[in-house]
Amino acid sequence: MGNKERDVRMSLQTLKVLEAFLDNPSEQLSGAEVHQRCRLASGTLYPILLRLEAAGWFVSRWESIDPSTAGRPRRRLYRLTPTGLKRASEVFASFNRGVLA
Amino acid sequence: MTSERELNWIDGFSRNLVHRAARRAPETLSERLEEEWLADMAERRGGFSRLRLAVGCYWATYTIAREHSVAVREQRVAVAAAGPRVARVDFSGFEQEDASPFSRRGATFLFVAFLHAAVLCGLAVGISSKFTKPIPNRFEATVIEKRLPPSVLPPPPEPNWSTVTVDRPPVDPLPPIERESPPPTGDTKGLTTEAPRVDLPPPPPVNANRVPGEPGKGFPNTADFYPSASIRLGEMGVAAVRACVDPNGHLTSDPSIVQSTGKPRLDEAALKLARAGSGHYRATTEDGKPVSSCYAFGIRFELRN
Repeated sequence: MGNKERDVRMSLQTLKVLEAFLDNPSEQLSGAEVHQRCRLASGTLYPILLRLEAAGWFVSRWESIDPSTAGRPRRRLYRLTPTGLKRASEVFASFNRGVLA
Repeated sequence: MTSERELNWIDGFSRNLVHRAARRAPETLSERLEEEWLADMAERRGGFSRLRLAVGCYWATYTIAREHSVAVREQRVAVAAAGPRVARVDFSGFEQEDASPFSRRGATFLFVAFLHAAVLCGLAVGISSKFTKPIPNRFEATVIEKRLPPSVLPPPPEPNWSTVTVDRPPVDPLPPIERESPPPTGDTKGLTTEAPRVDLPPPPPVNANRVPGEPGKGFPNTADFYPSASIRLGEMGVAAVRACVDPNGHLTSDPSIVQSTGKPRLDEAALKLARAGSGHYRATTEDGKPVSSCYAFGIRFELRN
């Protein structure tokens, strides 16, 4: 996925994902944690995460654990970028004005 | 309750499904997605929850691959616009979902649509003509008068007008007449009162001015009794029906078929028509006077295109 900033098609599901990150913008969330907060199906959630990452709104990294020691695979953690935080805030602010950005 | 063995089977199946889904993703994302999805699956509690995640990941692969193809296409366009200096970018691994002009889903949709169209065309054109026959646009049925040969109708019984012998009733013997004259001397013991035989005059000849009857005014229309099945099958024919009619044109007995059409449906329809016509028959006349008689007439069932 490229890092070039692009427009993201806003849907209700995308807004739910952004809302989960905006609760604590510095927090890093895995897909499972986002699912617990948004209750979105995995078939919908992961394309949105990848789409927002490709648009530059999110960055992701692997969890800093040793899988063999932890006994489980590493989680992929997503975090809002400054650009993503700004754009997401604008989107929700436009909702408050009654206009979708 | 789900046993532990079944849970293990569901867990293994879910992992396998995630593995297959990741393999269908673009190559650069395949390993990452598999590890990420397996890690998220490990946080789920319950076999069915994991299975639901795996199915969702399988579905997500299609969306991810499609969006990846679009991104690659846009990147190619950008590279081509930038010139040959940057055209050495390696795009391997981004092409697998974009190799065909039709996606798998689109091809499946087209195939199903083609099947529907083929079945509809078959029903409309080919198959229907084998099971149905075209119905004639117009049909016509008329009652025709048919004179049957004399051998068909039994001749009416001829009245026996020959000589009739009538016995005279016995007559009481008259009392003896007393005469002054002396009684006869002859023996009267064998005297009887035998009645003389009377010969009746010869019977009148059969009236030659006889007009046989036929269906008269107000007789039902034959078309109303044409069986619909016979119309569809194109059955036609002429039936000869024998009817016994009183002087008022009413049937005196149930009509019968004396010459069949060869089609039982049409014969039955002819009998129904003959019964329905009771009261509308024209009686046979002798010297202009209607009399009871039996006669035959024809009913034609005919279709015309």
